[in-house]
Order: sequence, then C-alpha cells, then structure tokens
Amino acid sequence: MSRRRHLLRYLASRVALMPLMLWLIASLVFLLLRVAPGDPIDALLGIRAPVEARAALRQQLGLDQPLLVQYGHYLTDLLRGDLGTSLTNNEAVTAVIRDSLPASLELGVVALMLATLVGLAVGFSGIARPEGKLDLGGRLYGIGTYALPPFWAAMVMQLVFAVWLGWLPVGGRFPTTLVPPEGSGFYLLDSTLNGNAEQFWGALRHLVLPASTLGLLLSGVFANALRLNLRRALDSDYVEAARSRGLSERRVVLRHALPNALLPVLTITGITVASLIGGALLIEVTYSWPGVAFRLQEAIGQRDYPVVQGIVVVVAALVVVVSVVVDLLVALLDPRVSF
Amino acid sequence: MPDVLTLSLLVRSALAALVPALALLPGCQPRHPASELVVATNSTVASVDPVDITTLAGMQLLSAIGDPLYAADAKGQLQPRLATALPKLSANGLTARIPLRQGVQFHDGTRFDAKAMVFSLERFRALGKMGYLLDDRIRAVRASGPYELELQLKRPYSALAALLSSINLTPLSPTAYSQHRERALADRFVGTGPYRLARKSPQKQTLLPFSNYWGPATRNQGIHLVSLSNSTALFGALVSGEVDVLLSQGIESDQQKALAERARRGQLVEAIGPAVEIGYLTLLSNRPPLDQPLLRQAIALSLNRALISERVSYGIRAPLRSLVPPPLAGSEPPAWPSYNPTEARALFRKAGYCQGRRLTLPLTFRSNVPADKLFALTWKAQLERDLRDCLQLEISGMESTTAYRQLEQGAFPMILLDWVGDYPDPDIYLLPMLGCQKVQGSRCLEGNAAAAGSFWSSPGLQKQLEDSERLEGLQRQTLLQTIQRRTAAGAAYIPVWQVAPRAWAQARLEKPVFDGTGRLVLQALSDR
Repeated sequence: MSRRRHLLRYLASRVALMPLMLWLIASLVFLLLRVAPGDPIDALLGIRAPVEARAALRQQLGLDQPLLVQYGHYLTDLLRGDLGTSLTNNEAVTAVIRDSLPASLELGVVALMLATLVGLAVGFSGIARPEGKLDLGGRLYGIGTYALPPFWAAMVMQLVFAVWLGWLPVGGRFPTTLVPPEGSGFYLLDSTLNGNAEQFWGALRHLVLPASTLGLLLSGVFANALRLNLRRALDSDYVEAARSRGLSERRVVLRHALPNALLPVLTITGITVASLIGGALLIEVTYSWPGVAFRLQEAIGQRDYPVVQGIVVVVAALVVVVSVVVDLLVALLDPRVSF
Repeated sequence: MPDVLTLSLLVRSALAALVPALALLPGCQPRHPASELVVATNSTVASVDPVDITTLAGMQLLSAIGDPLYAADAKGQLQPRLATALPKLSANGLTARIPLRQGVQFHDGTRFDAKAMVFSLERFRALGKMGYLLDDRIRAVRASGPYELELQLKRPYSALAALLSSINLTPLSPTAYSQHRERALADRFVGTGPYRLARKSPQKQTLLPFSNYWGPATRNQGIHLVSLSNSTALFGALVSGEVDVLLSQGIESDQQKALAERARRGQLVEAIGPAVEIGYLTLLSNRPPLDQPLLRQAIALSLNRALISERVSYGIRAPLRSLVPPPLAGSEPPAWPSYNPTEARALFRKAGYCQGRRLTLPLTFRSNVPADKLFALTWKAQLERDLRDCLQLEISGMESTTAYRQLEQGAFPMILLDWVGDYPDPDIYLLPMLGCQKVQGSRCLEGNAAAAGSFWSSPGLQKQLEDSERLEGLQRQTLLQTIQRRTAAGAAYIPVWQVAPRAWAQARLEKPVFDGTGRLVLQALSDR
C-alpha cells in the first residue's frame, strides 16, 4: 500500500473513532459529576434554604429525575448539537464557550509564540560550546522553568510587574473603563481590524503578563528538546558528511541539522497546543483571565453540570482534531514516520 | 561556529528589544475619569436577575441598581425606601398593607406602582432560587390601590419589613421583563435603583447614574465593579492604584491586616460594616459520643475564641458567643460561656474522661475556606496545650459543597460552618438551625435542625421560635434571649466568630459607608 493510502486510512480511522471517543468522554463526565457528593443546589444555596425549598428547586431544574432519564436527555440534546443551559444563569452553554474559548486561544497562541521564540533561542544558544557557560545556562533555564510551579511564577510576575513596578495590570483581560471590541472575541485581532489603538493597547497590556508567564514556563521544554535533538543531529553521520563536503557551518546547522532537530519539537508543540485549547488553568485563575479553564473551574465549584459537560466535550473534540492534524503534519514532514 | 553564534546573538538581541517595549506599555495605561470609580471584589456575577442571585457579590450589585421596599441603615434601623411607611397589619396579623412611593421611575422610563411590585414579587416566587424567602411566609400578593400593596401572610410575622428589605425582592419593570415573566434575564436589569446597568460581563459591570432617580443623586459619575480571582491580585490592584475601592470578601487575613496598617498610616481609608456572617461549630447530638450534653458543654467551654481569633485572623474575625450577631435583637448578653478550661476539665471528668481516657473527636473543616483550616489547626494546638489529657481533635478537610450534602446524613460529629442572614433579623439566624417539625426528647427527627446536621432540639423550642415571629419589641427580645440560652445549654451549636465586611479606599476618597446589611453604599463613594 502506498504511503498516501496509509495516511488516508489512518485519517479515516481517527475520524471514525471520534464520535465513540466523544461519547465515552461525555458519558464519563456526566457520571463523574453525578457521583460526586453535592449538587448545584447545595452549591448555590449551601445550607441556607429549607429542605423543602431545596427539593423544589431540584425539581425545577430537573435534577430529581432518575439518572438514566437525565442521561437520555443529555445525549439526545448532545446529538442535536444542544449543549444545554447553565444552571446558574440560564445562559446557553454554547454562548459560554463562545465567549471564553477565544480568550484561552488568544492567550495560548501568544504564549506559544513566545515560548517558541525564547525556547529556540535558548536551545540554540548553547550549541557553539557544548558544556560551556551558555550551554549550562540554557540547561538550567530549561529545567528551572519546567520545574517552577505555574501559580507561584504567576504570582511573582504579578507582584513584580503589576504591584511593585506598576507597569502592567494585575489581572483581567481588558481595561475596566473601556468597551471591549466587538467581533471574533480575539481582542488583539478585533481591535486591529477596528483600527482602535486604545483598545489594542488595552488588550495587549492585559495579555503581556499572563502570556509571558505561560510562554516562559513552556519555553524550557522547547529549549531542552531543541538542544538535545540538535546536539544529536550535529553528531550524526549525515552532518559529518555535509561538513566533509566543505559546506559552511551555518549551512550545515540550518539546512541539515536543524530541520531534523525540529521534528520532535513539532510534536511537542502539537501536544502543547492541544493542552492549551482547554486553557492554562493556573495561569487563567491567577490572572483572572476569563478563558475556558477559568470558566470550567468556576462551573465545577458551582456544580453547573451543563457548563462542565459542554466545555469538556467541546475541548475534547478540538484536542482530538488538533492531535490528528499534528500527526499528519509530522507524517508529511518526516518520511520515516509510518502508520 | 561563529555563524551560529551570530544567529543566537541576533535572537538574543531581539529578545532584549522586548524589554524597552515592555517598559513603554505603562505609558499606554488608560486612565479612568476621576469621577468614575473602580470597586473590586473576588466574586464574579453570572446573572443580574434577582431570581438568580444568591451570592454576596450579586446582592452588592443589586443594591446599587435596585431599590428594596425597606432598607436597614448603618445603625441597623429599618427605613422605608420604595415603601413610604412600615406595613400596616390587620388585627389578626395576616394581612399587611404597604403604601408605596409615588413618582418613582424604572430605568426604562416606565412608572413604578403597586402593579409593578406585584409583578416582581410574583415573578420572584415563581422563579427565584431564593423563593423560599417568600414561600414560607406569603400566601398572596395583590395591588390594593395604585400605590398600595397588600400581602396575605401564612402566619403573623413581626419581621415582615425586615423580610421585605431583602434586595432580591427589588421591583422590576413589567414592560422590560414582559418576555421574561417565566424565565430569567441574566444580562440586563431594569429596576429603580440609583444606578442603571450600562454593561455587564461576569467579571465586570459598569454602572452609570440614573438621571431620573427619585432619591439623592449619586456622589460619583459611575462605578466599575470588577472581579479578580485571588487575594493577592486584589491586594495588588488596590496597592498599585489600579482599583479605587476594595471589598474584603476573599482577602486573606494577613493581607487585610496589611491594608489596615496602610490605612493607619494614612495611605488608605478603611471602613468596617456590621457583621452579618457568623462562624459556628455544629455538633452531632444524636449519636455517641456527642449525644452527651455534658461533653458538648465541655467542648463549648474549651474553645479559646480570643486566642483563635488573634492567631487565625489577627483579631479581624471577632469572637462571638451568640448565634445572632450584634446589634440584632437578642444578641446581648452573649448566651454561650466564655473559655474556661478548669470548668471544661471538670465536665470532661464527670463524663468519664481525663483520667487516663482521652476523647478523640473528628473535626471537619471546609478545605476551600482558608480561615476554616487555620481555625482547625489552631484549636487543635490550643487543646493539646490546655486539655491534652481530656480531648484530642482529629482534623480533616472537605470541599464545602460536598460537606453540605452530607450534613443531613449526620456525617460529621463536629464541623465548622458559616452563616449569612438573607435579611437583618434574628429569625434568619435561629430558625434555619433550630426549627424542627418532629421532635423526640432532645432530638430533632425532621426539620431544619436535622438538615443543619445537629439533630438537636428541645421540647417547646419550636413553639418559642414561632412565638418570636409574632412578638415585637422588648417581649420578642426577651424571648430571643431565652431561646439562645436554651440553645447554649444544649451546646449542639457553638458560635465561634463574626465576620464584619471591610472596605479600603484610596486616600483621596471619602471613607466608604456600609448599610445595615453589610453592603457598601456605592452611591456614597466620592472624592474628598
């Protein structure tokens, strides 16, 4: 069978498995939420409402129905593309996701760009003198940023740049007194398209701290991955052969070693992108960034079943799609990969 | 490899260029107009519909964009707001007539009258998540005149005006909500309050003065309510000047202390409101070992509130020996005994402990409430020091929602909880803990006391609670004190502390003011 047919077969199998995977995830989330003690009424009213009032509210929200009936309704709605409405404010779950997903994606994309830039720079910087000071510094940077607890790093950044220096806002996504730009929900993009500089700078200022924190924390992984793979590539026979043909060192590194060293980095990028779709929980919470993870964390606390279920299912679907795309990209770039 | 080095140098130079760019950003910081103020808290507001609102942050918002019929002033006295006088009760106490203010407009320009009030109350009864506030008391609502409201009560209730001060019962424009009679309207609000809601997201709400407001004009040109998710961010936002006023909800004790110190140095202005939140222990009274009243009383005597308050909150959470927070009726004199280790030891001995036999008692705290964990650790250490041979605590944490569900199953021998009254009246603190429909000796088999996890009652207590609903003035106060003394003797609940709301404002602002329900009066915020 040709490589192209293998690839198509792989793609078809992943697409065919997707509904099954989503059904499993949806069912698991549904079950886990109900198995946990406490329900939305306990979360909303705590102990303040009389027993009868709590029972009445449970009935009003359909939480008194047998689990199987609730599950049936949930699956039927899901098949129709209806993710339900929030139990706390009756807002459609699709609207909740529509409002919060762009925030997470905007943060994720900018953080990833920063992580790639810094990671590649740090990973690249040590190759001239292996085991030299620069190389050692790069390794320490990689391990250090990987090991830092995200909430701690975020709080330190917050303290230094927002509280002590007063350069940047403490949290949130947009200046309090400005009206956010209308459009796609990606504020940088929307304000650029609207040609509104005040909105753009406002959005950028709020993005800098969370994106930098997340980007720097992720960059260590990229740095270490590039450093190791580049070192391995530079020690390989084909690089030796290129050097012996008299090619310049620049050409050897950039044309021969780097493309091969970047393939594992691409896989790591794919995994990182997939994980960032669901938001960077600790970063979003620390910076009050109204993304998917922030909303999910709130919904879990409130036992807002439809919101939790909706977010998990949508994010899971996106993660599956992204991981397939990354697999295909790697396969296209690396002829050694087979399916 | 000089070429490669050059490349890496280039990349590093590019990175270095980011630093000045970062330094330029502060220059682009948009400044809000001085007359508009930013007020920060830790809670988001998912919905602005009174039928949905159950959180303190939501009620704080409602108090600025809505008006109740009555409102408690800073001294806790109820004053008519959209009503013009206190309810006139019929001879049998089952009908209440309330005269309403004329000339009041909703934010959409329509007129406020008795029909609008009936619409709003009926809607709240049908849809309200806190509909139980009315369900238990009100049989029917009707407009007995263009500006007169008539309420049919299920039983006489002397605290009716206090109940009607609940901000969730604020009137809504029937015109604006005509499409939302049977469902909530989460992102719009059309009421009669001093501000109108201009913009709303869960994290941010913009309030602008309502030009046709019937009462005094607001002292600022607008309020931006913002939510930041953690204590450090809130603290930092105030210190850096990003917000003008900060509410204490969700601020860690050490940061509250730091803010209070800044206020003492004149860098901030601090205001303290009346305590509406109490922290208390619930003891499971229907199972061994705490089915012995002696043991419960011994535990009550072994709690060093002053020490715990100081260690946990630097004294910010004031010690409390009453289930009703001062200054509400019946709160004074405190009914629960103060710390007395000698007497506690004597009671433990009487119950057969302290003589080579130590009582090991599980204490559950809510793991998502930092002060609760500190309380558990501190009390455990205090008991180790003072009553090591008599009592030992085994502490464990549990997420609050999980714990609430298991209370009625009698899952916790001892648990620390808190309580915030929905309106300023002693009933709302006593009935939910002590009400009991089915009593057997000192056990509550069915009712609020069972749902609250103590399962404790006392013969005739329910009758006294019902009587207190009818009585007024000194008679009621005396009865409330009696109820509290009986509850203290039963020791199935042990009050621990009270939490007064605080606010800190930038030094250029006037001292913030709280109303009698512990909410910040946003319309009073202004520059000096």
